[in-house]
Amino acid sequence: MKKIKWKTGRAAAAAMILFAVAGMTACGQGSQEESRPAAGQTERPEKKNSVTVVMGPTSEPAAGFDPAYGWGAGEHVHEPLIQSTLTVTEPDLTIGYDLATDVEVSGDGMVWTVTIRDDVYFTDGEQLTAEDVAFTYNTLKNTSSVNDFTMLKEAKALDDVTVEFHMERPYSIWPYTMAVTGIVPEHAYGNDYGSHPIGSGRYMLEQWDKGQQVILKANPDYYGEAPNMEEVIILFMEEDAAYAAVQAGQADVAYTAATYAGQTVSGYELAAFPTVDNRGFNLPAIPAGETGEDGIPLGNDFTCDVNVRRAINLAIDREEMIENVLNGYGTPAYSVCDKMPWYNPAAEISCDREEAARLLNEAGWTVGEDGIREKNGVKAGFKLLYPAGDSVRQALSADTANQLREVGIQVDIQGTDWDTAYDMAQSEPLMWGWGAHTPMELYNIYHSSGNGGYARYSPYRNETVDSYMDQALACTDLEESYELWKKAQWDGKTGIIQEGDIPWIWLVNADHLYWVRDGLTVAEQKIHPHGHGWSIVNNVDQWSWSETAQ
Amino acid sequence: MKNRRLTTVILMAVALVFLSAVTASGYFWKEAALATDFSRKDLSPSIAFLFGTDWMGRDMFVRTIVGLSLSIRIGLLTAAASAVLAFLMGTAAAVMGKKTDSLICGLIDVIMGIPHILLLILISYACGRGFWGVVVGVSLTHWTSLARLIRGEVLQLKESNYIRIAERLGHSRWYIAFRHMAPCLFPQFAVGLVLLFPHAILHEASITFLGFGLSPEQPAIGVILSESMQYLAMGKWWLALFPGILLLVTVLMFHFIGQGLVRLVNPGSAQE
Repeated sequence: MKKIKWKTGRAAAAAMILFAVAGMTACGQGSQEESRPAAGQTERPEKKNSVTVVMGPTSEPAAGFDPAYGWGAGEHVHEPLIQSTLTVTEPDLTIGYDLATDVEVSGDGMVWTVTIRDDVYFTDGEQLTAEDVAFTYNTLKNTSSVNDFTMLKEAKALDDVTVEFHMERPYSIWPYTMAVTGIVPEHAYGNDYGSHPIGSGRYMLEQWDKGQQVILKANPDYYGEAPNMEEVIILFMEEDAAYAAVQAGQADVAYTAATYAGQTVSGYELAAFPTVDNRGFNLPAIPAGETGEDGIPLGNDFTCDVNVRRAINLAIDREEMIENVLNGYGTPAYSVCDKMPWYNPAAEISCDREEAARLLNEAGWTVGEDGIREKNGVKAGFKLLYPAGDSVRQALSADTANQLREVGIQVDIQGTDWDTAYDMAQSEPLMWGWGAHTPMELYNIYHSSGNGGYARYSPYRNETVDSYMDQALACTDLEESYELWKKAQWDGKTGIIQEGDIPWIWLVNADHLYWVRDGLTVAEQKIHPHGHGWSIVNNVDQWSWSETAQ
Repeated sequence: MKNRRLTTVILMAVALVFLSAVTASGYFWKEAALATDFSRKDLSPSIAFLFGTDWMGRDMFVRTIVGLSLSIRIGLLTAAASAVLAFLMGTAAAVMGKKTDSLICGLIDVIMGIPHILLLILISYACGRGFWGVVVGVSLTHWTSLARLIRGEVLQLKESNYIRIAERLGHSRWYIAFRHMAPCLFPQFAVGLVLLFPHAILHEASITFLGFGLSPEQPAIGVILSESMQYLAMGKWWLALFPGILLLVTVLMFHFIGQGLVRLVNPGSAQE
């Protein structure tokens, strides 16, 4: 008896302390809401040409700065900074050159010949040759777990400055893969390369305190224009800690979320960078009943009707969603690739709930007593999954549910984790986030080469769409391939937009928000891809402090 | 005439009414606790929204009450389950002979040796999370101390004359245990049961706080608190403070009931 009593008492006391502390912290923060330039706190660090950037903890590369394990060329693509790449993506997302001086592709698309500069040295003094390039790509083909190199058969160095890529199949967008693949030195590549990277890029890794910070120093022998920022310190913090760091004046640039956008911090401005970091949900386009290769159920009886999918797309008010969930910091999304050179603007659509209601009536779903539509005793609706722990996607799901209720569709939202989400999405809509600087994303989402003859992430198949994308990949001219990617989206008769099959509903592109210290000029950004992290420092070498701020 | 016994009874009645009110209203507000309305997001506490609203415009008062009601229901279920488990284990250890005794004592030691929260996470994860994951997890981790207590009591009772007489009369061990020992164990058992509640509720709150329990849109008290932690830095203190206080009040209510029960059933203090 005594024992139990004591333990309960202890638990209660612990709870009391916890909430007392929570309460005090809360009150303390509340009074600081106006924010204050406390003496000395918002001064810039004394070092010139140095910048401190705060990113989220998930931005820290778990396996280090090794392109084989996702550095730059991972789920979230960005320029690898420490390493050079053959090509780069320009601000308008066409292709430019970094190491390359010329890129040619054979008529059948099976051989890419790239010549490179001969004046590039790794930071250990060795010259970067075509051998290193070939070594990098052959290594990545064998080891990369996060990026797709299956289209590459073999890379061969012909001489010091010429490398040939022999392909398994034509792959017209190879230059986009080259733009995120950092070249590693053959002579200094090993198991611990990730924590001791040697490259030829604009920056060198000076220090990496795992879980805390990364310090980059400018490469003094860089072959291009010398970086303006000599030191870049990257800190990894949770959202609230990042905000606290800004309040305390400890960071120059810090990521933040739309929920913080209403706050003001003196000495800082909120910068919103447009993105293709979209959010949207899949609608399984086949009826339930089939199973995939590994026994996972495919399809959904409600969303398999194209009129239902069109009605859902029409019923979404994207502008309202942006106001509601993103506090205005976002743009409507109509496709997975808005604003990219391969985007087909035919996807644009405005909210029209009357038309949505008409389509649903036509599909046989009539309004029942409680305002929810019914057909043969079945209620119109679906379960919308979202990754637990992502509050923005949760809010988007909740708002989607509210908006679809307006047209009589009952949506129940449910949090899930990534262990099960991929499988569940084969039969239930899931709130996804996509957006990359490569048209390959269209292929991954819509091409039926995935799961048992259907698209990989949500069952869907349209042979015309498939064939346009196959043609686009086989195309030898990049400009021409953009047109084919556009046709895959809508060719006037069929496609993946509203008038077509609409197997995915795209909602918003969430702006990437950062607190930026007054006096710091962040150079013009490319449209950021999915991943609120390293993209911001793609061009950190061109950032500058205004004279007065120094 | 001020009577301590009467005050205790009144206090217990108040606590009971409070807890049943919370539990019942949680049942009726189930839908309202999930409803989001972005036109009223981030409101500070007012008459219309006693505890304010969160970033999706959910009424935090309704959410907190429904969350607590869920906690209480989970608490009831788990406390009952672990009390029954404790009673069976404790009695079996004392009655079934040396081997069973050392086996059960060993089990108790093993379970008590592993930090509660860790075991809780493991079990509820293995049970597929969700409501039943939490229930099974909390039930399987909270029976040990009560079982040990009951074992001690039974061992003591075993030596008493009336039990020995019953043995000589040829009654079976289990007959004696349930017929003759159980009534004597009831006070300890009842009090132990009630005092398990606060423990179970706090553990339910912590496991949902850590994200191993229920899905984030569910109104569980731990989910509410862990969400509100993110908004403290923005000065939205009401999101954490009121649900926290209410959780504390609920736990204390159970504590009062437990202590009141001790006073009422314990012969040493029953006549005060």
